[in-house]
Amino acid sequence: MIITGLIVGLALGFVLQRGRFCVTGAFRDLTLTGNTRWFSALILLIAVHSIGLFLLNGLGVITLEASPFPWLASIIGGLIFGFAMVLAGGCATGTYYRAGEGLVGSWFALIFYALTSAVMKNGPLTSVTEGLRSITIESGTLQASTGLNPWVFVAIISAVAIAVTVHHNKKTATPVATLPPLKKGLAHILTEKRWNPFVTAVVIGIIATIAWPLSAATGRNSGLGITTPSANLTTFLGTGDASLVDWGVMLVIGILIGILIGSFIAAKASGEFRIRVPDQATVVKSIFGGVGMGVGAAIAGGCTVGNAMVSTAQFEYQGWVATFFMIVGAGVAAKFTIKSGARTGAAQPAESRSV
Amino acid sequence: MKQVLETNGLVCPFPLVEAKDAIGGMDNGDELVINFDCTQATEAIPQWAAENGYPVTHFDRTGDASWTITVRKA
Repeated sequence: MIITGLIVGLALGFVLQRGRFCVTGAFRDLTLTGNTRWFSALILLIAVHSIGLFLLNGLGVITLEASPFPWLASIIGGLIFGFAMVLAGGCATGTYYRAGEGLVGSWFALIFYALTSAVMKNGPLTSVTEGLRSITIESGTLQASTGLNPWVFVAIISAVAIAVTVHHNKKTATPVATLPPLKKGLAHILTEKRWNPFVTAVVIGIIATIAWPLSAATGRNSGLGITTPSANLTTFLGTGDASLVDWGVMLVIGILIGILIGSFIAAKASGEFRIRVPDQATVVKSIFGGVGMGVGAAIAGGCTVGNAMVSTAQFEYQGWVATFFMIVGAGVAAKFTIKSGARTGAAQPAESRSV
Repeated sequence: MKQVLETNGLVCPFPLVEAKDAIGGMDNGDELVINFDCTQATEAIPQWAAENGYPVTHFDRTGDASWTITVRKA
């Protein structure tokens, strides 16, 4: 029943696009502006997902497997991925949904990301990836090395998540401006209304939790993932090897379609789909970004989904270490590429401008 | 005094980075019109304005995947 992957992908793609869920932005903001709003939403997502996963594991619905910690690969891969995603202007899912919104730069990033992840995971450089990932520390999770019940860590991350969620949802003195609505009722909420990032985080956490048993039922015992499925999809397209088309591949196809539907439905209501061709510099950056994302995610064993949402929720060191180094990599890239005042004379007095 | 910032074609975070730059050089009561086509900025710019206590006097669509927002420095 790999078709369930398609359905989960559809739902996820829609939610990502409508919620404008951007992990790249969350990581970049931490170092660029010190804004923790989106990173806090990610913490909430991880908390919801960890509750769901350990609940399902405790009930015997799924079996979480302990794996060793590939420390060197997590550090190197995380750094490369973090740096590259800022160049590409989006993480794996962000690039998928921006591609669905019609941003041509993201099409380039997506194609090169899928290509290099296939080269690193299924192609000629597989041995490099495996070599780096074979350098490990035995205990791969917090609960394995401390001997504590994983619910201790679930409780800790949940407490942190509640604190940051409350902090970021205090009302601002000035109300947040919204677009004038064109639709009413459910259509307004689904296709127009600005979603609170924390609501989006909870919804994604729930979808991620549901994904695991559905995927496990097809013999793929893992949760949401973007990089390996993208690599397998690319390899399938090049070889015709249908055995590669598993739940994960259906998931990324679903995400693409879901995002297209998400932005197309929205296009009817508020018009968020338009082919947008970037300038030369952005195209080049997107290509280098995509190449680096594929390489980095393959080495790190996951992107901002597989590592920063799913591996972290199991309290695996790989997830937390890779996430930390993605933030470092994103910070370095932001320092180099995002300077304020880069364009000269950007703002023009209204009077001097013909309308 | 009203200033217009054209950021069409720029992806996030650039519309917001430039908006911050532009408003930094303005006086209280001045208005900044930001035209943008990065979808994420429909979230990021109103949020930034609200957090800084800048009233938004106009916010609307100008076409498919393009928007305009007017922020008054306060």
